[in-house]
Amino acid sequence: MLAGEEVIEQMWGVSLDRLYDSDEGQRILSCIQCGTCAGACPYGEHMLYPPRRIITMLKAGLIEDVFDSDSLFKCVNCYTCMTKCPRNIRLTEILLPLVKEQSAVRLEEMPAELQKAIENTYRYGNTYGESARKRAAWIETIEVPIRILAKDPAPVDILWFVECDLSYHPRGQAAARATALLFHLLGLDFAILGPEERCAGDCGRLSWEPGLAETLVDYNLSIFDKYTFNRIVTNDPHALDAFKFRYPMFAFKHKTTATVPELYAHLDRLKPMLTKKLDYLVTYHDSCCLGRHNGFYDEPRALLEAIPGVRLVEMDHNRENSICCGGGGGGMWLDTWYKQQGIERLSDRRLREVIATRANVLAVACPYEVSRFEDAVKLAGYEDRIIVRDITELLVEAIGGH
Amino acid sequence: MKGNGDIRIGFYICHCGTNIAGLIDVARIAEYAGTLPGVVVARDYKYMCSDPGQDLLREDIAAYHLMRIVVASCSPLLHEQTFRRAAEKGGINPYFVQMVNIREHGTWVHDDAEYMTGKAMDMVRAAVLRVYAHQPLERKQVPITPDVLIVGGGIAGIHAALTMADAGKHVYLVEREPTIGGHMAQFDKTFPTLDCAACILTPKMTAVKAHPNITLWTWSEVEKVDGFIGNFTVTVKRKARYVDEDLCVGCMECIEACIYKQGKFPDEFNMGLSKRKPIFIPFPQAVPPVPVIDPGQCLHLKKGTCKDTCVEICADRKAINFEQEPEYKEIEVGAIILATGFTPFDATRIPYYGYGKYPNVYTALELERLVNASGPTGGEVRLPDGRTPERVAIVHCVGSRDEHYNRWCSRVCCMYSMKLAHLVKEKTHAEIFNFYIDMRAPGKSMEEFYNRISSEGIHLVRGRVADVYPETLEKKTNGQIGRVIVQAEDTLIGRIRKIPVDMLILSTGLQPRIDAEEIRRMFNISCSAGGFFLERHPKLAPVNTFTDGIFLAGTCQGPKDIPDTVAQAGAAASEALALIDRGVFELEPNTAYIMEDDCSGCKSCIPLCPYTAIAFKEEKQKAEINEALCKGCGTCVASCPSGSIRQHLFEDEEIYREIRGLLAYA
Ligand SMILES: Cc1cc2nc3c(=O)[nH]c(=O)nc-3n(C[C@H](O)[C@H](O)[C@H](O)COP(=O)(O)OP(=O)(O)OC[C@H]3O[C@@H](n4cnc5c(N)ncnc54)[C@H](O)[C@@H]3O)c2cc1C
Ligand code: SF4
Ligand code: SF4
Ligand code: SF4
Ligand code: SF4
Repeated sequence: MLAGEEVIEQMWGVSLDRLYDSDEGQRILSCIQCGTCAGACPYGEHMLYPPRRIITMLKAGLIEDVFDSDSLFKCVNCYTCMTKCPRNIRLTEILLPLVKEQSAVRLEEMPAELQKAIENTYRYGNTYGESARKRAAWIETIEVPIRILAKDPAPVDILWFVECDLSYHPRGQAAARATALLFHLLGLDFAILGPEERCAGDCGRLSWEPGLAETLVDYNLSIFDKYTFNRIVTNDPHALDAFKFRYPMFAFKHKTTATVPELYAHLDRLKPMLTKKLDYLVTYHDSCCLGRHNGFYDEPRALLEAIPGVRLVEMDHNRENSICCGGGGGGMWLDTWYKQQGIERLSDRRLREVIATRANVLAVACPYEVSRFEDAVKLAGYEDRIIVRDITELLVEAIGGH
Repeated sequence: MKGNGDIRIGFYICHCGTNIAGLIDVARIAEYAGTLPGVVVARDYKYMCSDPGQDLLREDIAAYHLMRIVVASCSPLLHEQTFRRAAEKGGINPYFVQMVNIREHGTWVHDDAEYMTGKAMDMVRAAVLRVYAHQPLERKQVPITPDVLIVGGGIAGIHAALTMADAGKHVYLVEREPTIGGHMAQFDKTFPTLDCAACILTPKMTAVKAHPNITLWTWSEVEKVDGFIGNFTVTVKRKARYVDEDLCVGCMECIEACIYKQGKFPDEFNMGLSKRKPIFIPFPQAVPPVPVIDPGQCLHLKKGTCKDTCVEICADRKAINFEQEPEYKEIEVGAIILATGFTPFDATRIPYYGYGKYPNVYTALELERLVNASGPTGGEVRLPDGRTPERVAIVHCVGSRDEHYNRWCSRVCCMYSMKLAHLVKEKTHAEIFNFYIDMRAPGKSMEEFYNRISSEGIHLVRGRVADVYPETLEKKTNGQIGRVIVQAEDTLIGRIRKIPVDMLILSTGLQPRIDAEEIRRMFNISCSAGGFFLERHPKLAPVNTFTDGIFLAGTCQGPKDIPDTVAQAGAAASEALALIDRGVFELEPNTAYIMEDDCSGCKSCIPLCPYTAIAFKEEKQKAEINEALCKGCGTCVASCPSGSIRQHLFEDEEIYREIRGLLAYA
C-alpha cells in the first residue's frame, strides 16, 4: 500500500468524474457497502447520502444526484470513517474533499461565518481578519526571546509555525506563550516567521475552497524558500496535516511535526522541570488530525502523566474511537449553520462524556478545541467545575514560577 | 559439428493434431533431423503420446537398435514420463530420452511459420547432440516406515488418526493440551444440523483412546523433525503432567480433595468464565480422563508447602508424582499429518467494539460455553450480574474481511452466528439482532439453515457495526451492568440505528495459530499470505504440502467448518495411506551429488538449498547431499566455488553439447 503522502501526490488533479480511473479510485471500487463509514460518522444520521451511498451513486453514474443533498457539507473531516473502513478506502483524504468542493459550489448560500472566514483568509492571511502585521504582536507579552526570521535570517533548527489561532486568539496566545517558554527552557533552537506567516490553508482546502488553499500554499512555500531550517514544528494539528498530506502535492519536502510529539521527544529533560504538583483529574480529548490521522495517541498522554499529581481518566470514546470536537473541515465556522439545521454541536456532545468522567480539567492539543470546549462548558453551566487547558499550558503550570 | 559416433538415435516429431502441425511443416523437420549425426530413423506422427505412438517407439528401438530417443512435442511436464516408460519397455534406459518442447515453447507462442520452423530445427539439433551424452540412471527406492505422526487432536486430527488406525497403521497422535477434542469440544450444538457436538465428538475421542493402533500423547509437543519422506525422525516432548497416566484410574477424587476448596484460576476451557483448581481436568469427557497439575499454581510445586491432600486421597494408586520430569520420545514415521487448527481473532484488537472494556461484551466462543449444558452456567445465558439478557446483538465479521486485521472471510462465523442467535433466543427469549455485511451460507444445507433461523424472528440488520458505547454516561452503581448501544448504518433502509442491548456477542474470525510460523519452519513447509499452512495446489493437491510426506488437515490450512474439516482429514489420511502402502518411495535420479575429493568443505551450498538437503559431515569435513530431499533445482551446483557439485541429467557435457547444438545455426 502506498503511504498517505504518496497517494495524495498521485491524486493531484483527479476530478470526481474520472475518480474511478485512478489507482486510488480503484480501491474505492472495492467498497463492500458495509455502512461502517455512515455508522461511524458523528453526523451520519444527518446525512442523506453518507460516503457509502455516494460511492454507489458514482459507480452508477449518478454524479449530479449526489448533490441533491448537502450531506457532505456537514463532514468535519474527522477521519473516523476512513480509520474504520474495512477496505481501507481513503475517504477523508480523497473521496470526501472531491465531493465537498462540489457541494459547496452548489450551495444556494454559503453560511455567513464561513464566508467571512474565507474572505478574511484571502485578504489578510488569517481567519480572524486581523492585520498580518500584528501576527507576532503576542511575543511582546512574554520575556522569552523569540527570533523572527525576517529580522534575523540566520539558519535555524526549528521553524516554529505558530498558526492563526495561537497568533491572534487570546486563548490561543496563552498556548503560544506556554510553547515558547517550553522551547526556550529546553534550549531548542527555534524561530518564527512572524508577520510573514500566513494560514497553512488546511481548513481552506478542506472547506471546499481549493483556490484559496493553493494561494496560501504557494505563498507559504515561497516564504519557506527564503530561509534555512531543518524542520517545521507546529501547534496546530490541522497545519501538521496540511504540511504532511497537502503540501507534498506542491513539491514541499520539509520534515514536519507537531508540538506535542516534539515535546515528548524531550520528555526526559522536561520531566525534572515539572516540580509543582497539580492536583487535577484530567481527561484528554484526542484531536482528530493528531490522533487518527497521524497516530499520536500515547505522546500527549505521556506528557500529561509526567506532571506530578495529575491523574488521567479516559472518556468512553478515546484514541482512535474519539469523537471530533466539530471544528475540523470548516466546522469551526459552521456552528450557527448547524444550529439552524437543528443539529447538535459536537463539542456539546463531547462535553457530556467529559462531564461523565468527573474530570476537572479537559486537556487538549489543538488550538480550535480550547475555545470550542470553553464555549461548551459555559453553555452547560460547568464553568466552576471544568477548566479547559492546552497541554502546553498545563506543563508550564507544573514548572511553577511562570 | 562433432558427430555422435556410434550412438544410434531415433527422432520423432508429433503433430499434436493441429497444435504443432497447424503451424509448422513437421515432415520437413523430421527430414532435417534425419540428417543430424547419429540419427538413424526420423519420423513425424499424429499423436506420439497415444498407444500406437508409443508402440512405434518400441518397435523402432528393436528394429533399428536405437540407443537414444528424441521426441519433439509438448512440455516434458505432460509426457516425459510417458516416453521414458515407452523407452524402458522397448529395452533401453528411460533416461536416454530427451524431449523438445516445440508446443508450449513454440507453436503456441509464435505465429510466424517460417521463423518457428527454424527455431524448432535449432531446438531439435540441441536435443540430438545432448542426448548423445546421457548416462544411464537408476531410480532409487527408499523404504517407507509404515507409522504416521498426526500433530493436533482436534476433530481433524482425531478423524485422520482413526482412519489410519482402522486401516492398520500405527498412529502417534500428539496434542498440546491435556485433552484431545479441539474447539469442537467447546460447542454445545453445531450448525447446520444443530446436533449436539459432544454426542458426535466424544465417541470418536474415546475410540482414539481405546484404539490399539493409536499412541495418544496429550500435553505434548513436537520438538524436532529430521529426515525426509518415508523416514522422518521426530522428537516429541511429553510435558510433566504430575499425574501418572498409567497409574491414574480417572476417579477424579484428587481434584475434589485439593487443598483449594474452590476453583481459583481462570478455566481456559471455559474461556475464563469460571474458575478451576491447580489440579484439574478440562471437562468431564476429556480424553485421556487424567487430571493435570499446573506447576505455577499448585502449592506443593510452587512453594513445597502443601498438605498434599490429593496425594493422600490417591493413596496406594500412587498416581500423583510431583517428581515427574518432561519426557522426550524419539519416533520414526513415514508420513506426517498436520492438524493444528486455528485461533480465534483477538477481539481486543478492535477497540471500538468494547471487548475487555464493557463486561457484557462477549466473544462467540465464550457464548459457546455459556449456552453449553456442561458449561460454567449449566447452559443458562446470564449476564455477569446474574440477569438474563432481554436484548442481544451479534456482530458478524469481527476481525475478518478487514484490511486492518484479517483480509479473508472466516467462512464459519455467519453460520455460527445464526446458530448462536437460535440458541440464545431459545434459552432467553431475548430479542436478537444480527449485524452482518453479507450473509454467507454456501455448502450443503447451509442456506436451508439460514432460512430456518431467519424465520424464527431474529432481526437481521445489514450493516457493519461501527461503534459500541454505554447507553448512559453515568456509571451505574447498583451493581447492574448497563446496556451498550450498538451503532451501525442499516444499509437496507439507509438509517443509522443505535440499538441498546444487554449483551453483545462478537463473532470473531478464524486465524492461524500464533506459533504457525514456528511449526512451519520445524516441518519445513510453507505458509500462505495470511499465515495458514500452504497446500501444494489449491485445487488439485489441497492436502499435500511442498514437502513430500507431510499432509494438511483441517483449519490449519484455512478456515472451514466441521464437515469440510472432516472431509479434508479423510483426504489427508488416504494420501498418507497411499504413500505408506506403496511401501517404497521412488526417487527421481536427477539429483545433485558432490565430488567428495574436490569439496573444500566451505559450506557455502548448505544455506542455499531451499529443501535443506545438504548437511555437513563433520567426520569428513565435507558437504553431503541427501538424495531423498534433493529436488534437483541446481542451486548448489551453480554456487559451489570449487565446482565440486554435479547433477545427474545436467552434467556439464550434456549442457555444453546442448548449447553448442543450439548455437550452431544451420
Ligand atoms: C465460535 C465458533 C463456533 C463454531 N461452530 C461451528 C459449528 O456449529 N459447526 C461447524 O461445522 N463448525 C463450527 N465452527 C468451526 C469449527 O470450530 C472448526 O471447523 C473445527 O474446530 C476445526 O477443527 P480442527 O481440528 O481443524 O482445529 P481445532 O479444533 O482448532 O483443533 C486443533 C487441535 O490441535 C492442537 N494443537 C495446535 N497446535 C498444536 C501443536 N503445535 N502441537 C500439538 N497440538 C497442537 C490444539 O490444541 C487443538 O486441540 C465454529 C468455530 C467457532 C470459532
Ligand atoms: S466503510 Fe468503506 S467499505 Fe464500508 S461502505 Fe464505507 S467506504 Fe464502503
Ligand atoms: S470524516 Fe468524519 S465527519 Fe466526515 S464523513 Fe467521515 S466520519 Fe463523517
Ligand atoms: S463467514 Fe460471515 S461473519 Fe464470517 S467473515 Fe465471512 S461474511 Fe463475515
Ligand atoms: S540441487 Fe537443489 S535441492 Fe538438491 S541439494 Fe542442491 S540446492 Fe538442494
